[in-house]
Amino acid sequence: MKVELKIWRYDGATGQKALRPYEVDVSAEATLLDTLDAVKDKVDGSLAYRKSCRMMICGSCGMRVNGGAVLACKTRIADLVADGSVPVISAMGNLPVVKDLVVDMAPFWDKMRSVEPWLQPGYDQATEIENIVEQKRMDVIHKESLCINCGCCVSECNSMESDPDFLGPAALAKGMRFVGDPRDGRTIERLEAYSEPHGIWDCTRCYFCNERCPKGVDPRDAIAKLGAEAMNKGIDRDMGARHAKWFVTSAKTTGWLRETELVPKTQGVVKAIKEIKFAMSLVPKGKVPPPFPPHVAEDVHEARGLYDLVKQQGVEGALGIVQGEKALMHLEHTSGDSDRHPYDEPGSFVRPFLPEDVQE
Amino acid sequence: MEQHFDVVVVGAGCAGMRAAIEAHDNGARVAVISKLHPTRSHSGAAEGGINAALGNTAEDSPETHAFDTVKGSDYLGDQDAIEIFTREAPGDIYQLEHWGCVFSRNDEGKLAQRPFGAAGSPRTVYAADITGHVLIQVLYEQLQKRMAEGLVVFEEYFAFRLVEEDGRCRGVVSWDLMNGGVKLVEGSAVILATGGAGRLFRATTNAYACTGDGMAMALRLGLPLKDMEFMQFHPTTMFPSGILITEGCRGEGGYLINKDGERFMKRYAPNALELASRDVVSRSEQTEIDAGRGVNGSVYLDLRHLGAEKILNRLPGSRELAMTYAAVDPIYEPIPVRPGAHYHMGGVECDNWGLTELEGLYAAGEVACVSVHGANRLGGNSLMETITFGRRAGQAAAEYARSSSATGGNGDAARADAETWIKGLLGVEHGERPWQIRDELGISMLENFGVFRHADKMDKQVEVIAGLRGRYERGVVIEDKGDIFNSDLTQAIELGYLLDLASCMLQAGVARKESRGAHSRPHDFPTRDDENFMKHSISRWQGTGPELSYREVRMTQWEPMERKY
Repeated sequence: MKVELKIWRYDGATGQKALRPYEVDVSAEATLLDTLDAVKDKVDGSLAYRKSCRMMICGSCGMRVNGGAVLACKTRIADLVADGSVPVISAMGNLPVVKDLVVDMAPFWDKMRSVEPWLQPGYDQATEIENIVEQKRMDVIHKESLCINCGCCVSECNSMESDPDFLGPAALAKGMRFVGDPRDGRTIERLEAYSEPHGIWDCTRCYFCNERCPKGVDPRDAIAKLGAEAMNKGIDRDMGARHAKWFVTSAKTTGWLRETELVPKTQGVVKAIKEIKFAMSLVPKGKVPPPFPPHVAEDVHEARGLYDLVKQQGVEGALGIVQGEKALMHLEHTSGDSDRHPYDEPGSFVRPFLPEDVQE
Repeated sequence: MEQHFDVVVVGAGCAGMRAAIEAHDNGARVAVISKLHPTRSHSGAAEGGINAALGNTAEDSPETHAFDTVKGSDYLGDQDAIEIFTREAPGDIYQLEHWGCVFSRNDEGKLAQRPFGAAGSPRTVYAADITGHVLIQVLYEQLQKRMAEGLVVFEEYFAFRLVEEDGRCRGVVSWDLMNGGVKLVEGSAVILATGGAGRLFRATTNAYACTGDGMAMALRLGLPLKDMEFMQFHPTTMFPSGILITEGCRGEGGYLINKDGERFMKRYAPNALELASRDVVSRSEQTEIDAGRGVNGSVYLDLRHLGAEKILNRLPGSRELAMTYAAVDPIYEPIPVRPGAHYHMGGVECDNWGLTELEGLYAAGEVACVSVHGANRLGGNSLMETITFGRRAGQAAAEYARSSSATGGNGDAARADAETWIKGLLGVEHGERPWQIRDELGISMLENFGVFRHADKMDKQVEVIAGLRGRYERGVVIEDKGDIFNSDLTQAIELGYLLDLASCMLQAGVARKESRGAHSRPHDFPTRDDENFMKHSISRWQGTGPELSYREVRMTQWEPMERKY
């Protein structure tokens, strides 16, 4: 199969940058990585990119296709050219380009290291037997444990684009991996540290990280879990935390979002007073409903019922979010393929049998 | 940044990181050199699990584990090493758990254990089907903790020469991938943990990085490599990529079927069926395929009867791999699989502490040959080997470094020599690109030195390798002449390593006139010959090629028996 693609080349020594077209012959099942290999072997040996496992576990080959991050080994080239377009390959975003498709990952690893990514159980010497931990408790960090440090989430992170010091989705997901681990003894200290500026509450919730993660880590969900855990532990002085908290209180008490109270509850009364002029300009648009008497929604008991249910089940914080994830995974699976059956369909593979069954 | 350390570890997979951690904890100043970032290492691709006789699921003991390993090795494993291995494994697992490893749990909240091939008890500790990944992560976490305490990691340093001085190993010469340039890192002790050489074969589960670097460096220093002919072919790798589907699929109850749907393993291993030893299963598959009962050179791995729930919970990674690389959803369709090169039982000869023939040089993990695996490795034993023998090598190297004196300056000469050599490589302007030699090597090794070995095909392969070597030595063209991330250069050097190792493998394979473990000669020597060949092959480089000799197998309590599953 003849394939055309364009690659943003960059020479770190001279600073020269160019978008170059290539055409190579690859097999129908070739991945983008296979295609780059063909370019490097047969067209230009100086093309630089990272690779190793070619089975989406080592995390080396993160790069951008048409402006969005992917793992090259997970991407079939046939899918990219199916509509007749010529894919444009470039280095990941939010990290300095070193050469062609190779970025300097040092800032990535530095942020990772800054969350103290190692278990701190509060003792040095391992005992002669394992910790007893329910699988259910470990499931809280199942998705975070899948992270292969490829950097695709960081590449697409909008918050990091405007604030290069933002810890970012990968490091925060790694942080959640320890906050959610019942064996870790520094949950509070971690949540305090991650709640600092450039941490949990500086995520803009654009969900690009979830969308671009090739392993289903869903870093934004990990950040949500950190937020939930922080609030559960009373670590809520950040405006982001107070903002989220007020949403819940508001929904629980009146079934509505009471915007007028939102600003003072989030920013504090003193700061809110400074915003009065801005608030007044919103009044004519109907964005500042009078707070008294509070307008209570007709079916507010439903909102309160939901709140009580969550309380009753005791699945607050990260556990609650994980419970939702599990349900979704089940839904996604059963809804997509519900009409498929592994046996007894035209085209389905025969049922296995043991040789002796034939003789009987 | 060129410095002197107590212990320099080359390679940062499971064995390398475990060794580095242990050396650091024993008070050594440690540097780790790796051509990849540590978490990119191929240990991370291990899927099914890690064996230790914890007895969490059913009764088990280190003795049973040892016997299974000895039998699996087709009696070529060194029994004293195997006894140490199985005795120390449980403690090493508990240590990993206390470091935070995210293992799967059983109903009691203990570490879950699943059945694996040729194991007398469910002994394989696992994390779904990404066990290698969680191990790599926890080891890197612990490494980072120690980096804060002074441990140094030189990542994306491509090590290509060992420095020898007065009969001792004193350091490593590397190419700095990110910045270019030859760098010298000196050490009182050096630990090789560079992994295997699966890239010798076209169909392999191994990463592009698995090019036998450590073995080739040791070989060129005149050190002995052991049991080079024994390359394990994993029974379930996907066509055409060779990407691994874990043995855990069969551990969880998966079937192997031919094109008619027949569970053919019943005819080859009536008791163990799909969970026979890997060499047995791979030969059975190849026999089915050769007899025309396969499809496109593959048989099938059928998981359908396990149901969606079990597949999604226990084998999600395998499902994702099958869907991505074979366009098959194992919940509804069987996965086409065939034997593919997976693990090299052979390696740098070393003792039970990882010490090689050269003072100050240690080896651990797949690069080493202790030998725990003999002629055939059991699934789940390699990850365990990296941990247990990585730890032992780290401890021994740290102790040695403490008593060792300062270096004398051969390092600078070695670096200068290496610089000249690299300049020569980059200076080749006309000739062949390396990829053609690489592809021909991989295809011919698979064809002539695969699951079954025929005398005439092996003879032919000896000639093929000689021809490829000739072409390589005439000089291959490296098109990238730059300093920054010059993978064209490092890939050309790797090809040279592979050619050296292929010669050793073939020579040892031709000379082993018997069938044992992964070395199978059904046409001329179909049975095991304990009288003449219950011994390790030793390959040493002499002038222009390897020279073969033999060494006794160390026995303790198990007399060789016929091997049946």
